[in-house]
Amino acid sequence: MQKNNPDAIVIGAGIVGACSALSLTNAGLKVMIIDRGSVASGTTGAGEGNILVSDKDPGPELTLALKSRDLWFELQEDVGDSFELEAKGGVVVARHDSSALMKLAEHQRAAGVTAERVNSAELHKLEPYLHPDLSEGVFYPQDAQCQPMLAAARIIQTVLARGGQLVSQARVTGFEISENSIKGVVTSRGTFHAPLVVNASGTWAGEIAALAGSQLPIAPRKGFILVTEPAPQYIFHKVYDSDYVANVASSDADLQTSTVVEGTRSGTILIGASRERIGFDGSMNYEIVRKLAAQATSLFPVLRDVQLLRVYRGFRPYAPDHLPVIGEDSLISGLWHSAGHEGAGIGLAPGSAALITDAILGRVSFMDAQAFSPQRFAGAL
Amino acid sequence: MIAIIGAGPAGLAAARAIALAGISVTVIDAAQKPGGQYWRHRSTVDGYKATRSEKYFSTVMGNPLVTYINGAQVWSATRSEKSIHINYLQSGVEKILACTDLILTTGAYDRSLPFTGWDKPGSMTPGAAQALLKGHGVIAGKSIVISGTGPFLLPVAVGLAAGGAKVEGVFEANSPLRWLRSPLALLLNPEKALELLYYLKQFRRYSIPVRFGKAVTEFTGHSVRISDVNSDLTIKKANVQEIECNGIAAGWGFVPDITLGGILGCNQVVDKDGTVIFSTDHQQRSSVSNIWIAGEATGIGGSDLALAEGHIAGLSVIGKRIPISLLFSRFRKELFARALQVSYPVNPGWKKWLNRETLICRCEEVTCGQILDSVEELKAEDARTSKLFTRAGMGLCQGRICSRNVAEVIGASKEVSVTDSERIAYSNRPIAAPISLGTLGDGISSK
Ligand SMILES: Cc1cc2nc3c(=O)[nH]c(=O)nc-3n(C[C@H](O)[C@H](O)[C@H](O)COP(=O)(O)OP(=O)(O)OC[C@H]3O[C@@H](n4cnc5c(N)ncnc54)[C@H](O)[C@@H]3O)c2cc1C
Ligand SMILES: Cc1cc2nc3c(=O)[nH]c(=O)nc-3n(C[C@H](O)[C@H](O)[C@H](O)COP(=O)(O)OP(=O)(O)OC[C@H]3O[C@@H](n4cnc5c(N)ncnc54)[C@H](O)[C@@H]3O)c2cc1C
Repeated sequence: MQKNNPDAIVIGAGIVGACSALSLTNAGLKVMIIDRGSVASGTTGAGEGNILVSDKDPGPELTLALKSRDLWFELQEDVGDSFELEAKGGVVVARHDSSALMKLAEHQRAAGVTAERVNSAELHKLEPYLHPDLSEGVFYPQDAQCQPMLAAARIIQTVLARGGQLVSQARVTGFEISENSIKGVVTSRGTFHAPLVVNASGTWAGEIAALAGSQLPIAPRKGFILVTEPAPQYIFHKVYDSDYVANVASSDADLQTSTVVEGTRSGTILIGASRERIGFDGSMNYEIVRKLAAQATSLFPVLRDVQLLRVYRGFRPYAPDHLPVIGEDSLISGLWHSAGHEGAGIGLAPGSAALITDAILGRVSFMDAQAFSPQRFAGAL
Repeated sequence: MIAIIGAGPAGLAAARAIALAGISVTVIDAAQKPGGQYWRHRSTVDGYKATRSEKYFSTVMGNPLVTYINGAQVWSATRSEKSIHINYLQSGVEKILACTDLILTTGAYDRSLPFTGWDKPGSMTPGAAQALLKGHGVIAGKSIVISGTGPFLLPVAVGLAAGGAKVEGVFEANSPLRWLRSPLALLLNPEKALELLYYLKQFRRYSIPVRFGKAVTEFTGHSVRISDVNSDLTIKKANVQEIECNGIAAGWGFVPDITLGGILGCNQVVDKDGTVIFSTDHQQRSSVSNIWIAGEATGIGGSDLALAEGHIAGLSVIGKRIPISLLFSRFRKELFARALQVSYPVNPGWKKWLNRETLICRCEEVTCGQILDSVEELKAEDARTSKLFTRAGMGLCQGRICSRNVAEVIGASKEVSVTDSERIAYSNRPIAAPISLGTLGDGISSK
């Protein structure tokens, strides 16, 4: 297809692949992106665009999230185009007992997060349509959002403008490997050679690793999102209740619903999201939809009269310890993974891209990526 | 318990067959009045043999075996081993109907093609024109041009004229000579000739001119511009005529409404004309046990075919033998339906009418240029990705009107044909009708 082989191949044209491709390109590499579909045809096109620091406990993921959030704004300058990035701020409302939330906020503050405790008056000033009984919360001005599909597309557009290539509708079916080193990627549209491959195939990263004779324990965690008709501006930040934080961290297979409610530029309101581990089962579950609606209207009674237009679902890529996998494969050299970002792949993508580029080039990075190493699962499978 | 969703010709025929056998059945429909797309408006469509519907209304309405739930918009349905639950909204209240056997006769709606000015007030589909005429009498005294393709333009024109509108002309894009390609269908459906004669007489009565090989390619708000079109729908000669008018009713065939069957998991296929329909067996059974589908949702064929299919589905549900004569009748009408497809194709040349400013998605005001840019710059390759980038199809109608056109515009720009899986993907949606979040959430406690 092309005369000159790329220096690196990125598998996956989702947000993680897009950011990885751009940071490798900016480091001087010639990059080819391969996807079995088109840009954003995976989970990136089936989620929301929250860039959150508020929902994370102190630890490596929060460190990554904080850096990544700032990198999003740098990325916007680099790409020079808009993908609706906005530092909107998040409001976490204490539904019952506020002590757990306040303790989390305190720990987060110690880790560098701006987390302002707000009383009832302040809370209702931030969110005038909030249920009057809700009286306490924490405001996180760093929480931001973007339009993730547009972001992936604009970033890939930039990669292409800087000499990269996109091979779409090409399913990866195998690898060329010799002496445990990666040589090329075999796809339904031909074989492409490169000494470096980044597996950014999200929820399908385990399948890709298996094609190389390696293993990666990434599994799907299903989520539904509700979209309403365009409504007047009732919601000014990302608003969620403190149960959400517990759910995000939970590894319980059962269904969890805890709403994040937010308005979008087009006036529609997004209500997400449920978390379920039931494999790639794409079927609708109206009971979940009802639960999400009930939770959203209990936060914002004004939403009772707003019509639901659409429901969509996606499969978050998650690892057993809920941390992303970023680093070189434990068996195959030249094969790098950046996957398993679960419900935070949009937020974490630029930081992950910086980490993997630094690791590939042997540069010192902004944080120690040991906690994300694929090696942590070696032997455990 | 047997339920039927849809009280159009197919649903009424099914209900009638069941009730005549002495078995009770529930019919549920969104509209206030029974009759579906066409019969519901029969007083405004001066249709050929329109009174035939009386036979169905009289056996179904007021029959103690038939429970008729009107004004009931089904927004979702679920099934378990034993039963099917139909969730519907009636005057803003959510209700649930449980049944063991379900016949889906959800019909079809008009297909629209974009053209310059189709978003202006006064531009509508033939179906909407009828509803307007009926509902508010606002059409009376107005002058209207009818454009598009298909035999259904004829009854609409006559109905509008009878209702007091001045029909300035019917511009049928296809040539009547195309009928010569389907001699067997014509031979086996001789009564259709009488129907045609009936309409010709009506056209003379109301002095409605009919022109072939022409289409409205622009609406200014107070006039239409007509172009000569080739058989592939590309423009042969642009703007050959301008007609002053208040409105334009343009219809390009129909889109089957497959939402509910899709929610219930019934298998779908792509018909020859690119519409997504359900696959059913000879008894109208869908791929899902205990669900039958009849009428336009299994392929566009007109009300006669819908009646035959509904009748067969009704008999099948109650385990009655299907008479050979009925099966033959359906066969005959299917042949005619095929002939309709051959005679009134919507060929791909319409995309050449568009310019960058033409709106493709009216709800979200997305232009043809924006869609082409999403392909060129953002690397969208199908309607779904383009929707994520441009919002085309994300508005109130949820892509019912535009998603097929978006897919075809993208296909044309990349010189590839739209795949069947993409067609099925853009034709399905998980919510069949908007429902308020309050009602939705309250549903939990009521269960
Ligand atoms: C309901 C829901 C809500 C969410 N909300 C948020 C949120 O608010 N904020 C946030 O940060 N995150 C959110 N997420 C998570 C986020 O969407 C994901 O973490 C992120 O999109 C993962 O990006 P990715 O690039 O790793 O994967 P993907 O976007 O899935 O990209 C992987 C790509 O790999 C391709 N691929 C797979 N297999 C092959 C193969 N064999 N050959 C070639 N290509 C292949 C796929 O086609 C796909 O395009 C949400 C997720 C869901 C489901
Ligand atoms: C303008 C126009 C003119 C026509 N002229 C002719 C003609 O002259 N001759 C002819 O043979 N045919 C004509 N037709 C075609 C005719 O309308 C159809 O062939 C016929 O109505 C199909 O019957 P059906 O029962 O399949 O569906 P429909 O008549 O469309 O009935 C479907 C019913 O299902 C209901 N429904 C769908 N979804 C839901 C839901 N979610 N909840 C509740 N209810 C639901 C709808 O309200 C509707 O009443 C015309 C159509 C139109 C639009």
